[in-house]
Amino acid sequence: MIRVENVTKQFGTTRAVQDVSFQIGPGEIVGFLGPNGAGKSTLLKMIATWLRPSAGRIEVAGHDTQSAPLDVRRALGYLPEHNALYETMRVDRLLTFAARARGLRGALLAERLDWVTDRCQLGEVHKKRVAHCSKGFRQRIGVAAALIHDPPVLVLDEPTHGLDPLQVVAFRDFLRELQTDRAILFSSHILAEVTAISDRLLILNQGRLLFDGTLSAIEERAAAHNTDVERAVLEIVRDQGPEPADRSAR
Amino acid sequence: MTSAPHRANGFFAGLATVARRELGATFDSSVAYVFTIGFLLLANSIFMNDFFLTGRVDMSGFFELLPLLLPFFLAASTMRLWAEERRVHTDEFLLTLPITPLQAVLGKFVAAFALYAVFVAGTLPIPLMLNVLGRPDGGLILGGYLGLIGLGALLTSLGLCLSSLSSDQVTAFVLTASVGIALVLLGDPRVVAVVDGLAPSLSLGTLLAERVSARRPYDALTGGTLAPSALVYFGGLSAVLLWINAAAVERNRS
Repeated sequence: MIRVENVTKQFGTTRAVQDVSFQIGPGEIVGFLGPNGAGKSTLLKMIATWLRPSAGRIEVAGHDTQSAPLDVRRALGYLPEHNALYETMRVDRLLTFAARARGLRGALLAERLDWVTDRCQLGEVHKKRVAHCSKGFRQRIGVAAALIHDPPVLVLDEPTHGLDPLQVVAFRDFLRELQTDRAILFSSHILAEVTAISDRLLILNQGRLLFDGTLSAIEERAAAHNTDVERAVLEIVRDQGPEPADRSAR
Repeated sequence: MTSAPHRANGFFAGLATVARRELGATFDSSVAYVFTIGFLLLANSIFMNDFFLTGRVDMSGFFELLPLLLPFFLAASTMRLWAEERRVHTDEFLLTLPITPLQAVLGKFVAAFALYAVFVAGTLPIPLMLNVLGRPDGGLILGGYLGLIGLGALLTSLGLCLSSLSSDQVTAFVLTASVGIALVLLGDPRVVAVVDGLAPSLSLGTLLAERVSARRPYDALTGGTLAPSALVYFGGLSAVLLWINAAAVERNRS
């Protein structure tokens, strides 16, 4: 559902993403882990067609992000890093706008609006302006806008940012429910959050993909080095990559 | 069970979705009402002043002076359209929806032009009043309004385009108002004489007045001539500016 092939992104002389490749299939939740400035958001923006790769190619649901960006956007629900929303709009009108832009009309639009309002717990704010909503609500509004068209692929950049601990737990459960037949890629710089939600981890640092594998592969590595999972991840980042065998561990 | 992708939006459906959001955002704020009413009062007082001074049952003075007001009105109504999206990063939300840059640009144009249409409609009591007071030349009034539509479309496109190229709203306002007023003034005989005087051999002032200024095509329409060249000037230049705007929006995502 998401196929990233040898993707590089260059901003002037800075290489933000370097020759990154991975694939995510339906039903997979993949956590994207890395320190600030690792290139996570840049890569997610390229998947969402907001940025163009300098080299390589990206496919979402079988559509190329360069040659068929509109098809990619139709198949994709995307929560951007800043989650910038139209402040003066009412929440229900913002979601209706996102739905209409995605071709939803009539009864289907009403049904999806009810669904996201219920599942993202927006009932108490859906007639309020976005500007009057708390950070936690705004994050949920962004997720609701990404889900309004029931997309087969979800890309969420720091989705739990701004949520309180109870909301984080509820969001993890919600994401698990959504997993059934969707490909979900989300980013975070908190290891516990990624390991609590995802089946698979991608670790990125300085634009390079250092690890693509399961949590158990990291646990095995931690056991072999007589350390804990957090330190094992830190070692991967510090060493700029595990042994070659770990790269294919899945 | 996921169901996307849903049926694709047609070109005009996508455009209308953007236009509807922009119109909602415009009229959600009291600023648009205060601003439009303020400019309407100003425009109507220009007419009333001319009407009481000359005592003529026509709108020529009104159509003569309005082009000096419109660059400021339309610079103010278009300045936020792209510059603000970029400042608060909502452009990423908008342009990762299945909407093309051209649909987004035209949707914003329709919304901005609708606000201008409200302003123009607010001056319609003037011809109605003139019809009660006497027998004004209907053709001249109709031509005048055609000129306002043409000039309004051009300045709206210019404002949108410069908003997409500006770093903030204030820069967009200053650029649009400056270029807009220059387009109008370059056709003024006094400005033509001054510019011609700077380099007599080049006749630059005359050249700019004939080839660049919006005043000549505007005057042709307000003079009651349905000149195809005027329609091509306003329509063509507006289309070019909107196309540049769409290209600039597309380029921003690289």
